[in-house]
Amino acid sequence: MILSDVVEFLEKVPPFQFLKKGTLQMIASKVSMEYYPKGTEILVQSGPPSEHLYIVQKGGVKIFVRSGTDDIIIDYRNEGDSFGFVSLYSGDKSRTNVVAADDTICYLIDKETFLKLHDAYPAFAEYFLRSYLGKYVDTTFRELYDKGFLYRSGNTLPFTTPVGDIATQRLITVSPERSIQAAARLMAERKISSLVVVDEERKPLGIVTDRDLREKVVAAGVSVEGPLRDIMTTSLVTIEVGEFCFEALLKMIRHSIHHLLVMDKDTLKGIVTNHDLMMLQGLSPITIAREIESRQNIECLIPISSEISSMVGLLLKEGTKASNISRIITELNERLVQRIIEIDLNEHGPPPVPFCWIVFGSEGRKEQTFKTDQDNALIYADPETPELEKEAAEYFQEFALRINNALVKCGFPKCPANYMASNPKWNQPLRVWKRNFTEWITSSTPESILLSAIFFDFRPVYGDLDLGEILRRHLNQKLEQERFFLARMAATVVDNRPPLGFFKTFVVEKSGEHKDQLNLKISALALIVDIVRLFSLERGVSETSTLERIEALRGQHGLTDEFGLELEQSFEFIMLLRVLRQFEQIELGSEPDNFINPNELNTLEKQTLKEIFQLISRVQDLIDQRYRLGTVS
Amino acid sequence: MGFRDWSRGKISDLSDTYKQKSSNFGAMEAAVFGSEDHSLPIDKVRYVVIDSELTGLDAKKDSIVSLGAIRMLGTRILLGETFDRLVSPETKLTGASVVIHGITPGEVAEKPSIEAVLPEFLSFCGDDIMVGYMPVIDLTFLNRETKRLYGISVKNLIIDVFALDKWRRQRIGEDSSGCPSLYDIAKSFDVPVKGAHNAVADAFITAQVLQRLLPVLIDLGIKSVGELLAVSNPAKGGDKFRFSFKFGNF
Repeated sequence: MILSDVVEFLEKVPPFQFLKKGTLQMIASKVSMEYYPKGTEILVQSGPPSEHLYIVQKGGVKIFVRSGTDDIIIDYRNEGDSFGFVSLYSGDKSRTNVVAADDTICYLIDKETFLKLHDAYPAFAEYFLRSYLGKYVDTTFRELYDKGFLYRSGNTLPFTTPVGDIATQRLITVSPERSIQAAARLMAERKISSLVVVDEERKPLGIVTDRDLREKVVAAGVSVEGPLRDIMTTSLVTIEVGEFCFEALLKMIRHSIHHLLVMDKDTLKGIVTNHDLMMLQGLSPITIAREIESRQNIECLIPISSEISSMVGLLLKEGTKASNISRIITELNERLVQRIIEIDLNEHGPPPVPFCWIVFGSEGRKEQTFKTDQDNALIYADPETPELEKEAAEYFQEFALRINNALVKCGFPKCPANYMASNPKWNQPLRVWKRNFTEWITSSTPESILLSAIFFDFRPVYGDLDLGEILRRHLNQKLEQERFFLARMAATVVDNRPPLGFFKTFVVEKSGEHKDQLNLKISALALIVDIVRLFSLERGVSETSTLERIEALRGQHGLTDEFGLELEQSFEFIMLLRVLRQFEQIELGSEPDNFINPNELNTLEKQTLKEIFQLISRVQDLIDQRYRLGTVS
Repeated sequence: MGFRDWSRGKISDLSDTYKQKSSNFGAMEAAVFGSEDHSLPIDKVRYVVIDSELTGLDAKKDSIVSLGAIRMLGTRILLGETFDRLVSPETKLTGASVVIHGITPGEVAEKPSIEAVLPEFLSFCGDDIMVGYMPVIDLTFLNRETKRLYGISVKNLIIDVFALDKWRRQRIGEDSSGCPSLYDIAKSFDVPVKGAHNAVADAFITAQVLQRLLPVLIDLGIKSVGELLAVSNPAKGGDKFRFSFKFGNF
């Protein structure tokens, strides 16, 4: 009875569901069961490796990493999900913290049993590796993105790329009799982290890496005059050229090494490092970015937006964080716009005065998910003569219309409220824009507050970006002078309450097509965006993305210091719910929207949403108090 | 919490000891070994959670019809390490007891006698700390048999989840009067009650109750086995279990 319950449970859980009943019975007899009260630390970052594979039977856990004083949430794992794989598999210290987010029961599978399964069923191992690789890829993505590596080489994915394709061919080999110092110099000169030690016939004898120099020479106080033979690592881990990259990663984790020799039967073909594998991840976004650059006319750009959608699906499957996904989408969409404008300018000649193409709304905040409506406008430099003024107005009117139409062709529907550059209202010289902004701030009518919420998230994407900068400075100056505007905006922010009823049950759509559903964008995401926008305007922060705004406000805004991290995590969580839901819809062939049915959420997701709503409500109360008490300077 | 800092080595040491004990185990030794180290932390010791089904509660006339047990390493329940045996009772199954545990005379007629099952059961328990819901009842019957067969009582340390829970309720200022059944306590901890009134199923429920209780007790300051014993058996100062009661009290 006890074991048959475990078997029944495992039968519903991937990848166990793919195993035979007899195997599941064997596993069940080895399973132990542990209970973790809410808040229990199950695994600790940099702590001992996991000794088990943990499968959540009931409840849920939060996985996060601590960097400095910040906790970065990587994932939530719920009923049927597992954790502990990475350090169990590598025997290396745990890289993450795992804490019970609720009272949680886990089934534990011991290392020995797990490794047996791993060896007997390759597909079983691959499942875990894939889910792990997703996380691995995600953390390295941030690094690559920040370093601007996104636009470099590569063109396929870890599961389809043979190691031979990415292995470094320009392999540096040395004789075992070379001195340690000579070898170290060679490595420094060539800026490489390893040397392969070979005999006269170029058969590999060993490898010397940075780590060997550190651990076996410097730390051990060995003379640098000695031969390499004394310090080289002779247990060579090799991989065949034809094997896939994820297998290389697997070997690296398993042996805790960063270099693998790539062999073609008996011949040394090259070397592959963990860095090469990391580089591999950014590939599909890079490929798309390059494709965009290479297209010469609008028609050729059309198929690319559907490529962006399928790439997003892939990133989702690999476990990339929602905020990173939207950064990639935003980046690619931006490149698409830039390319469209470039192509148009080439065809129709340069403009009479400098201009700046700006985007706002979710595009301005770099928070796009799948297909979003166009939200754009155009600022041009103030023409010096009335003749030039007329010429510029005509030129930019036609120009904007062409760009808006091209964007429609590329899959960005027109904005129903006509917030587009082709609308003469939003296609104006700088002085008119300044006048508009001043007017919205000083009048503080409901309409102007609404327009402010839309336009103040603007971000320049093409042309003379200084024009956008000047407008941003003007905006901040005016806000300094007109604090009453912020009070009005705060009142709007506070009015828009999260849909959490008094009895803490969800208030959802009462009628219509989306009856009993929750609009994630309007009822959750927008509330956080509004709060953070208000804070940014209070401090004249020029960032437009919600997460970047929180980052920029840190240390200079009391409420952000107190609630910034929670708001950030909440935002990330809702974004993920939304993007997963939308991707599901796209895969089913329907139009993505922002609705979810709360009943389809699991307990942990519901609980988290409730907590998020309580958080929003609390912050709104504090904003309300502050403005009522007039404590905002 | 949990087993992070409990090295694998330590677990395997323990199981080696256990295996050794089991393999060397003879009937006479059964009753003489028992863990004496009361300073061990309560979330890092071995427990064996037991339950028995009886023909009735009269120690003179009734007898054991089934024995069930499941092992725990600290708070971890080892789902594959269970003991589950029916026993041919020395006394007749009464109508009333058949209704409770659903074991019919026909089912047990072909089963091994208590003489055959008891050594296996004691071997399974080893010197782990025995845990039960009001284990005093189970021990009365077990000891009657061990005394009859080997002339000595079971010497394992005994923990009563009923007493632990009562103490907990007292300590946190809840109503601690009344006599909640195992299933009442289980429900109060959100432990699912499944396959009730089957010895191993009840042992599993009891184990899950202990699993929930241990972290709470640790929070309330109960850290060592000695302290756990004291709480489990306040009247006796908590150390060794001796029975001197009438069933009528229950």
